[in-house]
Amino acid sequence: MAVNLEIKLGPLELAHPIINASGTFDVLAADKALEEDLFVSFPFAAYIPKTVTLQPRAGNPPPRLQETAAGLLNSIGLANHGIEAFITEDLHRLESLPVPVIASIAGEETEDYGRCAAMLDSREEVAAIELNVSCPNVELDGRALGLDPEKTRQATVLARQATSKFLIVKLTPNVTDIIEVAAAAVDGGADCVSLINTVHGMALDRYSLKPVLGHVTGGLSGPAIKPVALRAVFLVSRELDVPVIGMGGVTTAQDALEFMAAGATAVAVGTASFRDPLAAAMAPELGRLINEHGIGSASELIGVAH
Amino acid sequence: MDAGLIPAELLKCAVVESRQVGAYRLISFVAPQIANLAHPGQFLMIRMSGNELDPLLPRPMGIHNVESDLVTMLIDPVGKGTARLAAAGIGDRVSVLGPLGMGFRFEGEAPAVLVGGGIGISPLKLLARSLAAEGREVRCLLGFRTRKEAVATELFSGVRTDVITEDGSVGRLGLVSDPLPGCLAREPGKPTPEIFACGPSPMLAAVARIARECGNAAQVSVEAHMACGIGSCQGCVIRGAGGYLRVCNDGPVFDVEDISWQ
Repeated sequence: MAVNLEIKLGPLELAHPIINASGTFDVLAADKALEEDLFVSFPFAAYIPKTVTLQPRAGNPPPRLQETAAGLLNSIGLANHGIEAFITEDLHRLESLPVPVIASIAGEETEDYGRCAAMLDSREEVAAIELNVSCPNVELDGRALGLDPEKTRQATVLARQATSKFLIVKLTPNVTDIIEVAAAAVDGGADCVSLINTVHGMALDRYSLKPVLGHVTGGLSGPAIKPVALRAVFLVSRELDVPVIGMGGVTTAQDALEFMAAGATAVAVGTASFRDPLAAAMAPELGRLINEHGIGSASELIGVAH
Repeated sequence: MDAGLIPAELLKCAVVESRQVGAYRLISFVAPQIANLAHPGQFLMIRMSGNELDPLLPRPMGIHNVESDLVTMLIDPVGKGTARLAAAGIGDRVSVLGPLGMGFRFEGEAPAVLVGGGIGISPLKLLARSLAAEGREVRCLLGFRTRKEAVATELFSGVRTDVITEDGSVGRLGLVSDPLPGCLAREPGKPTPEIFACGPSPMLAAVARIARECGNAAQVSVEAHMACGIGSCQGCVIRGAGGYLRVCNDGPVFDVEDISWQ
């Protein structure tokens, strides 16, 4: 029996629950390397480009990457060409994708979220907006705005005032109580929360015993953080009434199955796409697993672990 | 030849050759598409096939050689990922994405001086062959730490080769950049020699300085940690003359003037 994989994420009707994590799959760059392979079987049911900011950002000094045990540390630092270039250069190219586009924005201060959201509000190519309040690589101590529930609420309020689009707030796990921050986002007008962004971490060079990353500290992703992410998705989705996008170390269809059971409505694949650019093509296998568990559809799987 | 971006595909390829070459490991696998498309200086993202999560990511490696359906890589087992690949036995499968990136660009008839340091000699093999096939005069300067690494000189049979070792155990004692200035003078009736280099950063910086001082064009292949290899992650950047450059998409081969050498 075929399992219905379609899910609703607010106004977005997705063919299946698998999307990408922002910053891990640049379809415009990958297009050059993968060409038609990519478009014949586009693995994501919605596409989130890399986070953009009001002004262009060069990003952090290299080295920006270090692999760790079943994980990846990065300190990219939100390198992007700015929201204006995103709107004038990227958006129309993304329009040819067979799936909805969710723009991702970040700011250095809460007001930036309102300004960026306002710039995207009239763009039909943008189906929803993700507020990235959780990039750990902007300040040395990882002081993302999303560490503070009140600032998270304020940023969401300002974006909410600027747009009627579906608003997703992407949360950091680097807090004492992620439920409190998630609740603040929802109180500010978020339609959905997305979690988790990377976990604070660092690595030392084995010979020099100095920090490997040019930015000294970074964010950890990959299979190593899956249990951390699963817990956060479980707790937040149990407490709040908005849909949750789950991510953090999702590598296989079994991982996606578990995130949905923990309460995620959609599941994002990130670092696994670096391992294999078509790793996210896991929807058919997810359907098979759902069926194996005697569950009739993807939407019925959501939160069965609660 | 076109050094541009070419469609790449993730392939699972069977290893058909695996042997020690001094300190390095040479593996070959069957990948007709890659063998057919590969341009000298391009690289592959390569890891062992399977569900192992540690090492997690593929490693970027320059293509050493292609021969009909076979692709050959030379591996320096310095870390977990490379050691795992070096342990690949015949019949094991590797997962491969490529060929990726911008390779060496070659036009004209200038004599070519190839400079390789350590495992950086690897992509120079396919380059030397391709240049020779175009009728270019090719000379290789290959530098190694010790005799153990210098065994890999045997991979360059048929090419005019000078070996330099840091301990003097084989060939000339010193650094591979030491004899370079002596190879760069323009000979009567020939264009000014062009430099093609691959190796560790200090070596490439020395090559860039010598090229500038002697007035020769030079291209260098740069190494960086990568996560994706296809321009997604922005993790592999180096400082360029006008901002950061992605080694994977903008390189790995750059003109020396495009890189900031400070």
